[in-house]
Amino acid sequence: MPISLSDAQLAVRIREGNAREAESELFRRMAPRIRLYGLRHLRDESAASDLVQDVMITALEALREGRLHDPEKLASFVLGICRMTVLELRRGSQRRARLLERFGEDLPAPAPPEPGLDREQLARCVRNLNERERTVIMMSYFDERTGPDVAGFLGLSEANVRVIRHRAVHNLRQCMGAVA
Amino acid sequence: MTCPAPLDAALLADYWMALLPEREEEAVELHLLACDVCGERLRESIALIDGLRQLAREGSLHMVVSEAFVRAAAEQGLRVREYAPPPGGGVQCTVTAGDDLLVARLAADIGSAHRVDISICDKHGSEQLRWPDIPVRRGAAGVVFQESMDWAKSAPDHTMILRLVALDEEGDERLLGEYTFNHTRSMPGPAAW
Repeated sequence: MPISLSDAQLAVRIREGNAREAESELFRRMAPRIRLYGLRHLRDESAASDLVQDVMITALEALREGRLHDPEKLASFVLGICRMTVLELRRGSQRRARLLERFGEDLPAPAPPEPGLDREQLARCVRNLNERERTVIMMSYFDERTGPDVAGFLGLSEANVRVIRHRAVHNLRQCMGAVA
Repeated sequence: MTCPAPLDAALLADYWMALLPEREEEAVELHLLACDVCGERLRESIALIDGLRQLAREGSLHMVVSEAFVRAAAEQGLRVREYAPPPGGGVQCTVTAGDDLLVARLAADIGSAHRVDISICDKHGSEQLRWPDIPVRRGAAGVVFQESMDWAKSAPDHTMILRLVALDEEGDERLLGEYTFNHTRSMPGPAAW
């Protein structure tokens, strides 16, 4: 059963041909991972969904044609396709239209939005941070200031800002009941 | 699902906010393309960051903020009410239902203070609360402080005195500035706490 195989074993199955189940399983695993990459780099749900489709179509095509020589390097191979596809998506949507025309009917529906978290509890947790942690985390995450910007504002080193930011995230996660 | 070397949640938050150097970012991405456990941790970090942003937009936190923070909030369409009493002086203040953020500009020569606290006092000058070691840069010309909008909207008429206090390495205190806020309630609510 493909579900019990590793990613690399699935890639080998696909290369060997006639592996519809292995392709479906690889798609099921990789789609949410590629979607996260897309959200990080494109900051848009719809564009991230487009990226998933384009990357998986390209990757499956390449795997079928045996263009991945070392299956253990599947993640690196997919990352390379992700990077190229993000560049292409930014350039335009022509290629996407062509690919969707060829393979569109094989593609799954977009993933549902992520669930939220208990905002009242989060507010309590943020109030429990010390003043420095609260300011660093809000400058970094709301204000989207870079490490050097925050360091300059507070008169601290970048390394110190990173330590404060990480400590704040850990404290918030612990307060919110995360395992680690 | 297990991961033999799970990525740290704070590292994943940095990844999400594009705060990592290129090599570190690449290592994180390679890991995420092979690991669903850490993908789930990234989703938790994203939810945390989204929650923090929402709290900031609601103005429900008290904290020291930067000019850029105030500017970004205004650019996002938030209505920012600002007060800037002179050191040793006071100001009449209120908030209305349409206000999103409440900001006080406390002018002071921070100089080379080792540590700066904000002391919150009643109208008689008696300290009620202290926020220790606020984040300020040496040589700054003051502090921009965001008060909780939830608190301000529910507060009855009252007078509050804020003091910026510098502490040296021996813990000796020096007053940098004192600022009086005479708050008038403009929204329905009880006459007193």
